[in-house]
Amino acid sequence: MTEILLSVKNLKKYFPVKQGFLIKRTVAEIKAVDDVSFDIEKGKTFALVGESGCGKTTVARTVLKLTNPTEGQIFFENTDISKFGYSELLPFRRKMQIVFQDPMSSLNPRMTIGQIVTEPMIFHKVARTKQEAYDRAKSLMEMVGLKAFHLDRYPHQFSGGQRQRIAIARAIAIEPEFLILDEPTSSLDVSVQAQIINLFLDFQERFRFSYLFISHNLGLVRFISHTVGIMYLGKIVELGETDEVFEEPLHPYSMALLSATPIPDPKVERSRQRIILKGGVPSPISRPSGCFFNPRCPYKMEICEKVYPEFRKVSENRWVACHLVK
Amino acid sequence: MENILSVRNLSTYFYMDEGVVAAVDDVSFDLSPKEVLGIVGETGSGKSVTVKSIMRLIKHPGKIVSGQIIYKGQDIMRFDEKEMYRIRGKEISMVFQDPMTSLNPLYTIGDQLMETIIQHQKVSKEEAYKRAVEMLGMVQIPEPEKRMKSYPFEFSGGMRQRVVIAIALSCNPSILIADEPTTALDVTIQAQILDLMKDLQQRLGTAMIFITHDLGVIASMAHRIIVMYGGKQMEVGSSDDVFYNPAHPYTHMLLRSIPRIDRKIDRLEPIPGQPPRMIDIPKVCPFLPRCPRNVDECNQKIPDMIEISQGHFVRCFNPVGGGN
Repeated sequence: MTEILLSVKNLKKYFPVKQGFLIKRTVAEIKAVDDVSFDIEKGKTFALVGESGCGKTTVARTVLKLTNPTEGQIFFENTDISKFGYSELLPFRRKMQIVFQDPMSSLNPRMTIGQIVTEPMIFHKVARTKQEAYDRAKSLMEMVGLKAFHLDRYPHQFSGGQRQRIAIARAIAIEPEFLILDEPTSSLDVSVQAQIINLFLDFQERFRFSYLFISHNLGLVRFISHTVGIMYLGKIVELGETDEVFEEPLHPYSMALLSATPIPDPKVERSRQRIILKGGVPSPISRPSGCFFNPRCPYKMEICEKVYPEFRKVSENRWVACHLVK
Repeated sequence: MENILSVRNLSTYFYMDEGVVAAVDDVSFDLSPKEVLGIVGETGSGKSVTVKSIMRLIKHPGKIVSGQIIYKGQDIMRFDEKEMYRIRGKEISMVFQDPMTSLNPLYTIGDQLMETIIQHQKVSKEEAYKRAVEMLGMVQIPEPEKRMKSYPFEFSGGMRQRVVIAIALSCNPSILIADEPTTALDVTIQAQILDLMKDLQQRLGTAMIFITHDLGVIASMAHRIIVMYGGKQMEVGSSDDVFYNPAHPYTHMLLRSIPRIDRKIDRLEPIPGQPPRMIDIPKVCPFLPRCPRNVDECNQKIPDMIEISQGHFVRCFNPVGGGN
């Protein structure tokens, strides 16, 4: 029996483009997130992948209600939080946390690690007293692979990997159920990346955390996620079980993205036929008519320039938006 | 075959207030003509400082403390700044990570291309112009003649990197050094640039030093690989040696810690600990604190580079597989 923790339905987030000196007029809209839907099961990881500007981080920020959606619903444990205000959101905020890409800018340099980790516990009243919060912080430090004495230090005294451990300790301090991991290892060295990723897996096993994992590193996505959505210019173009999508991508963009990713294996690299896409990602202000991918698509047909393909279920666990896929 | 470049015992130190950083320590390697040599390593492993030392682009508080850099039989380390001017861009040229900072935002790309060409070749303005257009065409910029008048901000990241490559190759250098040329780019654009570089390298026969931290990129580009850690070479060998018979524990563990898109793995095997803080590090193997294979000797001195098979070198007292 699957249990859906988070369900996003037809989420849209448009940003106005304003012009004018004294009187600002809205001249265009950037459709950063355009009709995105997905579910995340309890205890599972859903990954959003795509290139810079495809809207994956905006999805994350909107789901957390750090910014309000233009349209659409966000169901957290069957409650639609998309229109909730500050006070209604508070109990949900405790259950949702985020780990950002750069642990240097997400930790306040003037606070000790102890203050950083205990603050959310006191705010959300997970701990009744400062002492209790501090005691819990000590065990959290052990859980993320640091030492209790580190609580008295400041962020600048730690390496990038250690700082990310601190950010994780802070995120799990209030016993959330759902964590957004927004490129959590992009600023780390490869030899440290695996430590952090394994930490996420351990916690998922122990506490049944659900993750929304955002990354452009497809190798990591294959490793960590159960289901995956591939985004292009604000829309999900393909969604399915991670292994199935990676082994048999159906959307031409998914194929190209996987094909463009180098594999750390020289013999495989030598024998690979790479799909090289033409050009770059078009501007989100003036997206192409029809399917947004059509100017770069090697399989373009006439209809692709006219109609945006419907995002359809093509098999048991697979949704694709492409005219080619029947 | 005669080596086009030989680096011998290169050491570059940075003299900081906190202490001395041996950013590059006793690095030696050869580059043969038409070869693509990859240098792979993590942040602070010394890969960029190595190539900047070759180009003599080290600024205070950094200092090249020793070493020879033999380019076509001459030790260019003894060259003065004026002589180096003739080497940079003409004989050895470089492509950096961020194409926005390596182009001047105030000049058109045509001006910047022609400047390099006129600087190093005795040609007229008209000829330089023709050559510049030809170069833009070679790096597959559409409508090259029209784009000569464009400014860097009018190009996307991938297109800018193409322009930088065009400038770097405009004087037919013998060696092209590419320092993380695709790190700032999206993966589909990265594929375009790597494809272009591979194609041009084969067509022009330029020798290349390719720096990256991405093991996938290095696997697709390099013939031979240097693995650096803590300012030192840990392992040198053919691409196949390094990937299929890694001898240094660091290389071995690094390859097991990365996920890949074409395989389902259950568990990553991380390397415990942190990369070294480079200040005043003791004269032992920099990987020692993280190494599960350490032996008594490791605490006493730095191992020499030993050749374990033809062209495959490792700096370790206890290499993986006994060094076979």
